Amino acid sequence: MKSDTAVPVKDMPKTDPRMKLIAAKLKKENFKADALIEILHTAQNAYGYLPKEVLSYITRALHLPPSRVYSTVTFYHFFSLKSKGEHTCLVCTGTACYVKGAQAILNEIERGMGLKAGQVSADNKLGVQVARCIGACGLAPAVVLDDEVQAKVTPGEIIQKINAKIGTL
Amino acid sequence: MNCYMNTISIIIDDQKLETDPGKTILEVCRENGIDILTMCHLKGVLDIGACRLCLVEIEGVNKLLSACTTKVAANMIVRTNTDRIKKYQRITTELFFAERNHVCAVCVANGKCELQDLGYKVGLDHIRYPHLFPQCEVDTSHPWYVMDHNRCIMCTRCVRVCNEVEGAHNWDVMNRGHQVRIISDFNSPWGESETCTSCGKCLHACPTGAIWPKAIVQGQLQKNPGMINELVEKRKMKL
Repeated sequence: MKSDTAVPVKDMPKTDPRMKLIAAKLKKENFKADALIEILHTAQNAYGYLPKEVLSYITRALHLPPSRVYSTVTFYHFFSLKSKGEHTCLVCTGTACYVKGAQAILNEIERGMGLKAGQVSADNKLGVQVARCIGACGLAPAVVLDDEVQAKVTPGEIIQKINAKIGTL
Repeated sequence: MNCYMNTISIIIDDQKLETDPGKTILEVCRENGIDILTMCHLKGVLDIGACRLCLVEIEGVNKLLSACTTKVAANMIVRTNTDRIKKYQRITTELFFAERNHVCAVCVANGKCELQDLGYKVGLDHIRYPHLFPQCEVDTSHPWYVMDHNRCIMCTRCVRVCNEVEGAHNWDVMNRGHQVRIISDFNSPWGESETCTSCGKCLHACPTGAIWPKAIVQGQLQKNPGMINELVEKRKMKL
């Protein structure tokens, strides 16, 4: 039918289940250019970040200019071009959490893990990030560990939980 | 339908003007010789109201609106040269200069620069804001042209010309806030672009010394931004 559906998956092993997910999403969205963000969501969730090969595959599949795709990816904080790590630790530094000692927690994590906020450990196991406010001020100070909100944490507690996460891998 | 039904009257700076509805305030002002400062406006491509230099006061509206994106309406009373507007024009101009590394004396566009002209027009003698002095790259990878991010004011005229007129969409904008940059393809060197047709329209659209041809000597830069609209008009003509 349409030649669009026969986009060559260049440089990509066809057996990669993550690529299959993206290909399925592309098909579901009917290769429409305005579904770019939805498709990028799928890719981000599948890979944990957006590798350049995946971006250029999506670009070709949707017949979009590469700069347009790159501009979308860099505009939204949800998308990242670098790996965020297998496990992510997001420390809320919003006002409520700050008052309740978020800085001490962040310092402890940075010291304990040898990472600065925004960095990923050398073995790609842990990424540390900060957010302005995650909207859970009642749970202050809050830390999001792998999409799980940890309420009213203490520095010692969070280090233990992180070590458990990394250790269980 | 008689022809009078299609015109509306508006008042700009105490001048009563007859005009067609559907035009922007900026278009009407330009047609009637009323000077409005602009940076991101380029005839021939879509207006985005990004530079905030063409702000005008409209009676009955509290905030200032950009003349390039506001359409005229019947009996609209517009003011373009009040103290409030002049104050904002001055602030905007100062911020343009403070944001990147604009050093006219060593710039290839010295004397042929719309930003420099703007500085003279608003009577810029000093800048009250701290300069950011960002680390910007100069991309010389293209065989004929140079992209100097130090001189870029993010008017996105190159982006719109490349997309709307040339249809190549080599350029776009990445990141946000003060980290925004014009990018080619996947933020790759311009010379490696797969979409650029090397047509040079972005060079003529660029109001400053951010995009310029390699084969020139300082002070001899010639830019022809009017060419963009000529192209657009010619394409509309039926043969």
